[in-house]
Amino acid sequence: MSRLGRLATVIRAGLRSNFGLATLKHRLFKEKKDRWLVPVFGLAALGVLPTLYGIVLLIKGAYLLLQPMGQERALLTLGILAGQLLILLFGIYYVISAFYFSRDLEMLIPLPLRPYEVMLSKFAVIVINEYLTVAAVVLPVVITFGVLARGGVGYWVNVVLVYLALPVIPLAAVSVLVVAMMRFINVSRKKDILILVGSILLIVLALALQIGLGRTAGPQPNAQAVTAFFTSPDSLLNRIGAKFPPSIWATKAVAGGFSGEGLANLALFLGISLAFFAGIVLLAEKLFYRGLVGLGETTGKKRRLTRDEMSRRVSSGRRAVAAVFAREWKIMNRTPIFLLNGVLVVVIVPVIFVLMATMGSGRGGGGRGGDTEAIMKIMTSANPLYVILAAALFMTICGSLNGTSSSTFSREGAQFWISRVIPVAPREQAAAKFLHSYLVAMLGVVTASVVAAIVLHLKAVHLAAAAGLALVAGVLLTVVGMIIDLARPLLDWTNPQKAIKQNLNVLLAMLADIGILTAVFFGVKALIKAKLAPNVVLGVVFVALAALAALSYGILLRFADKRYPEIEA
Amino acid sequence: MIELTNVSKSYNRGKVKAVDDLTLTVKPGEIFGFLGPNGAGKTTTIKMIVGLLRPDAGRVAVEGFDVAKDPLKAKQVTTYVPDYPAVYERLTGLEYLNFIGDVYGVPKAERLDRIGKWLEIFELASVVTNPIQSYSHGMKQKIVLTAALLPAPRVMVLDEPLVGLDPRAAHQIKELFREHCDQGKTLFFSTHIMEVAEKLCDRIGIIHKGQLVACGTMDELKALDRTEQSLEGIFLELTDK
Repeated sequence: MSRLGRLATVIRAGLRSNFGLATLKHRLFKEKKDRWLVPVFGLAALGVLPTLYGIVLLIKGAYLLLQPMGQERALLTLGILAGQLLILLFGIYYVISAFYFSRDLEMLIPLPLRPYEVMLSKFAVIVINEYLTVAAVVLPVVITFGVLARGGVGYWVNVVLVYLALPVIPLAAVSVLVVAMMRFINVSRKKDILILVGSILLIVLALALQIGLGRTAGPQPNAQAVTAFFTSPDSLLNRIGAKFPPSIWATKAVAGGFSGEGLANLALFLGISLAFFAGIVLLAEKLFYRGLVGLGETTGKKRRLTRDEMSRRVSSGRRAVAAVFAREWKIMNRTPIFLLNGVLVVVIVPVIFVLMATMGSGRGGGGRGGDTEAIMKIMTSANPLYVILAAALFMTICGSLNGTSSSTFSREGAQFWISRVIPVAPREQAAAKFLHSYLVAMLGVVTASVVAAIVLHLKAVHLAAAAGLALVAGVLLTVVGMIIDLARPLLDWTNPQKAIKQNLNVLLAMLADIGILTAVFFGVKALIKAKLAPNVVLGVVFVALAALAALSYGILLRFADKRYPEIEA
Repeated sequence: MIELTNVSKSYNRGKVKAVDDLTLTVKPGEIFGFLGPNGAGKTTTIKMIVGLLRPDAGRVAVEGFDVAKDPLKAKQVTTYVPDYPAVYERLTGLEYLNFIGDVYGVPKAERLDRIGKWLEIFELASVVTNPIQSYSHGMKQKIVLTAALLPAPRVMVLDEPLVGLDPRAAHQIKELFREHCDQGKTLFFSTHIMEVAEKLCDRIGIIHKGQLVACGTMDELKALDRTEQSLEGIFLELTDK
């Protein structure tokens, strides 16, 4: 087989095993098991349509605003840049887990394959994941723009080419950082901790980059500068893309179509992408295996415990719920991928909000920050109800929109047999898992409360009311996530990433959460329209959420008793 | 005691019959060896005994408790060792044993005694505070066996328990099996090692294409076919259809 043919085979095998196409086909058409998912996804797609429509209207509005000033192409730059930054941020998770935590690597390494071939098979999987991740950000922009600007064949052809090449540069950059980091880490004993610290550093770096790119404006501009800025075509585009030129080339390639400018920029964008790609192929040959070999092995010191030590460390008997909770806690916190995607997300997301808020107030130089603070203070004192509800929503999102609850059964993977054979009632196991997931959600609510106190300048009483609402909403959303995961746990994974980050249940749970929050929003709107006093509105929302939470928890326990024996481990 | 009455199980919507109308009783104090070619239905039968799979028809009972109707009572008296030691890699060996001790409600004094004893026998005492991730395949198998012994169960069900063990550990396991059953407890295990089954088991069952084609003591099996006197010969004869 030719070298290229062999590479294609490896990549095809990687894609098949990662996206489980054969398994899905088998389950849908042979076992006819997952057919219920088809209408669920249909419904979910319908549910997303109004949001998508809103986004398209927003883009259209911005286009119509910018077009008379000749700045409309800045929209494309913004979309492409946002897409590439998203790729950069998600890429860190994807690259670390696909390159270093896929268990099939143990099978691939002994095969007569070159390191770059193995790495490229993983790279292909990440690229496909990134296409799906950024579709929601990039596609509405380029499609709406294309329709409004009446883009010709050249526009659409270039859109496809640019979209296909979009992940290459940021992913190659992340790969270089990660592969270099792993090469360094693998010489150390404390690999797990270093991977975690390294990943956090990379995320901070990506965020810093994002903020750096956001701070494009200099000191407060004067009227003349503003006029000059807006009278020169594409000045906004150049300003936005200044820190990351590929986004400018991509914009010009797309907008220019088959014109000289379009083709030249397309060649530049694709050429640079290709160069980055070649760079990581070379890097893979030199560094990939060195960071990899032995990563799955951990060494421990051999030490015999004395009788006293043994007596202290042997538990004197915990209740079953406490034992299962302790197991969940330890496994989640000791598996870097789980920790990054579960516990750390609830801490990092609120911090990102703080950074974004400070970035917003920092933009435009001195004075503006003070204005924001003043506006916030006026808002919070003028209508506390809205502020409490907004803060509660923020806290709920920070606490509950992570994969902890919706992957709680899936995370057990091949070890689920233990949960099936131990003499602990499924409802008790579900209760322990609920406690664990809810604790993570509470951590998010607490972090978000601190952020809300700093950024929104909430009064203590308002903060407490918002936190109270978020805590009861958290019960409901945690339970919904658990029920979704229990209905269809993903147990046959080889890469822990699959159990949490690429788990369909996490996505379904997020959609369900958004649906619930939307329903709550309309409920609140109706209460406000009925001219009820703010305290009554809050009371009704709290009681309704608490009742739903209690009801859903009962359903979860009953469902666990029914579902556990059906899951054939 | 383990009782399987007219138990059937099929996969792929009834297209593949893994176990077909199996009736079998394993008495207290008995070591029962379960033999069969690959895909004969051994693991499916074992998984139904421990409640991992639900039979399509028939009844499975352990110590008189119906596995389907009274699962917690059946699980309380049973422990299971799977054919592949998939255990919590991120826990230390001792944390895993503590977890099992907690969920089976083993009192501390007994826990200390048993853990100390089995860790010494299996030579795991010096690594028990290390993550299971750092163990070799054989060590993982040993920690799963230790966990299965910790509650001193009335019934032990083991799927290929000797695979991956070094000769010393395999020898110790065989002695332990005998000791376990001499206390009136029941042991059910599958194996491909004919010699082990022949020497160790009180009774042997041979399953082929989901059906129990032979069951009895070694002498009873020999009596089935006078030309074949070794278990290997009898096995090959019975499963060559």
